[in-house]
Amino acid sequence: MNTNASTEIQTPLAKGASWLASSLVNSQSFAGFFEPLVQWLVPQWRADRIRSKITTIRHESSDMYSLVIKPGLAFKCFTAGQFIELTVIKDGAWVSRYFSISSSPAYFQKTGLIEVSIRIQENGRITPWLVSALEAGSIVNLTQAQGEFVLPEKSNDLLMIAGGSGITPIRSMLQQLSNTSAALPNHVTLLFYARSADHFLFEKELKAMAADHNWLSIDFINSAEQGFFSEDHLLEYCPDAHQRSLYICGPSPMITAARKELKRLNFNDSHIHYEFFGPEPVDNAQTGSANILFSKSHKQISVTESNNKTLLTLAEEENTSPVSGCRMGVCHQCICQKKSGVVYNQKTQTYSDTGHQEIQLCISVPVGDVVLDL
Amino acid sequence: MANTFTTRPDSETLDKFAAELNHVREHAMEQVGEADAKYIRKIIRIQRLCEISGRISIPLGFFNPLIWVIGVLFLSVSKILNNMEIGHNVMHGQYDWMNDPNINSRNFDWDNAGDSNSWKRYHNHEHHTYTNIIGKDRDFGYGLLRLSDDTRWKPKNIWQFFTYLTLATFFEFGIAYHEVAGERIFMGKRKKTSSLPISREQLKSDFFGKIGRQFFKDYIFWPLLCFPAFLYVLTGNLAANLIRNLWTNTIIFCGHFTEDIHTFKMSDCKDETQGQWYYRQILGSSNLEGRKWFHIMSGHLSCQIEHHLYPDVPAMHYPHMAKQVEQICKKYNIPYNTGSFPKQLFTVWQRIIKHSFPTKGKQTLANA
Repeated sequence: MNTNASTEIQTPLAKGASWLASSLVNSQSFAGFFEPLVQWLVPQWRADRIRSKITTIRHESSDMYSLVIKPGLAFKCFTAGQFIELTVIKDGAWVSRYFSISSSPAYFQKTGLIEVSIRIQENGRITPWLVSALEAGSIVNLTQAQGEFVLPEKSNDLLMIAGGSGITPIRSMLQQLSNTSAALPNHVTLLFYARSADHFLFEKELKAMAADHNWLSIDFINSAEQGFFSEDHLLEYCPDAHQRSLYICGPSPMITAARKELKRLNFNDSHIHYEFFGPEPVDNAQTGSANILFSKSHKQISVTESNNKTLLTLAEEENTSPVSGCRMGVCHQCICQKKSGVVYNQKTQTYSDTGHQEIQLCISVPVGDVVLDL
Repeated sequence: MANTFTTRPDSETLDKFAAELNHVREHAMEQVGEADAKYIRKIIRIQRLCEISGRISIPLGFFNPLIWVIGVLFLSVSKILNNMEIGHNVMHGQYDWMNDPNINSRNFDWDNAGDSNSWKRYHNHEHHTYTNIIGKDRDFGYGLLRLSDDTRWKPKNIWQFFTYLTLATFFEFGIAYHEVAGERIFMGKRKKTSSLPISREQLKSDFFGKIGRQFFKDYIFWPLLCFPAFLYVLTGNLAANLIRNLWTNTIIFCGHFTEDIHTFKMSDCKDETQGQWYYRQILGSSNLEGRKWFHIMSGHLSCQIEHHLYPDVPAMHYPHMAKQVEQICKKYNIPYNTGSFPKQLFTVWQRIIKHSFPTKGKQTLANA
């Protein structure tokens, strides 16, 4: 999922306030100074997040659940297809994950609620835990909605391709389309792939939606029987695909395969919109090579997994000027924010979480793709 | 030669020793979690409340000097907690696992004239890696004091007890100037090799920038804001900074310069195994015994030995780790230097005075 940090443009006023805060209270902001005091009265309050409440947890299937959240007042509306970052406290540490909003902006305006639908990742640290740790009334922290995977104001005919839990932003889009009287596209086709007949999330709801609206047609495709997206599927379900805008969301192998196929069929790249769903780096871990992206210096390298170089060595080889110190995991000089991906800590001999985290570069070895704030 | 009044056990023994110390670490790390997050947030809350109370009480000294005294105490406690239990420990990365934007070693800034990034560079790396290595760990005497026979005596050492008192008085500036001095920014011959990761200009501007901001806060902004009480606020802030300086300096000197402390040569740490590194850290540090409040006000540097063994383990675990470490040291017959605060402080003063004079009999060359 696209999680690039928003560019920070500071107005002179904001600059002045930040200088004043660093001078008077040794914090980056006055809110940062008062945060621990506010947390005393309002648990889990964060100056940089929107404190929100879970109203319901709904089990969608054996491995999927939806959180119905009432976002705090600061939450602005969003565009169908966008995602939020959800932050909770686990064993004293903040942990964050990105989730697409699976409900529509129209629903939010009517009820003040949003929904995120979460697949339980096998061996995941957060998604299986979250459903047991949260209950109605629990506090979570949100960011404003972000993301470019959205429908244009007035759109052509659409072809949507969803894989598994990649249905979530598309559900939001379809709900929004069926709830607005604004200019609707004439035809919307959704190809919904799932690994078995039991894995079509929101099946009832989607079927009802398709029955109610003649512009919408939905095909549920069981990939175990019919295989992944292919030219045959395109001819069968959406022969006029060349005239449509395409929206693809799903696991990364599916997106990669679909894009390859579309390229072969001479589709115009500018008509294809896509969004990776789920922890992309973990999926690639089996391939034996890992991509390291240094997001600040815009450099990317590929390393083979048998190569046990630490991220500090790799960063130095790329001249991304990391700070270093003892090189043995003691001094924390080389601390760096990992934005995503799994690393192996040679000192504690443990694997990291997939979300963003402070890591010591000198004792961290990448396991699969890693994005560093360097 | 560096003083070695015990011989280092062979490396096989030290490997076993290291394994036991690692076990203590693993055991402590298993317990790190929610309780630590709650604890550090509570300490930060207390610090904030002390600071706010202090800032409010000090100008009220205008009406009654006793309130001024109470205000100064509040502000001193705030600054001490901020520098020791919070700042020092957070900047060691002890709480980085919390993923908190304000409680991590990258972002934290302390209420002290020393630029935190500069401090992290020389303290976390130079001092913690090369602990008590003469000529390499400049914390050993701060380039001002002669604290062992390894350093050549100079006439200026005669009045070094007064130098020590001056350093203690202005300690925060000593912290600020430490790296700038090491890099010979303002005077001295520029070093041939330097591992400074930023430009010399940047170092200089960080140095002045931080001192300027602290000066603005304590001696311009707050006094002017409470204008009729200008002098009360100015002197109150000055007093609080002074109390903090004397306290932090005293605690830090007790950590490495007590009577039985060992010093080392650069060759001692060449190709050092983990066991040998642990051994050197233990011999180069000394603990202070005291009550819980004393441990907190010292930022748990009262457990200097454990801090040097496990600098990134959250400090509230040190007191119970100390019991285990002392047992292990006893088992391996490795000296474990601990004592009451007054006793340890007395030996520090003794050391400073003793080395004010040239050593009789043997005069060794400076080991730099």
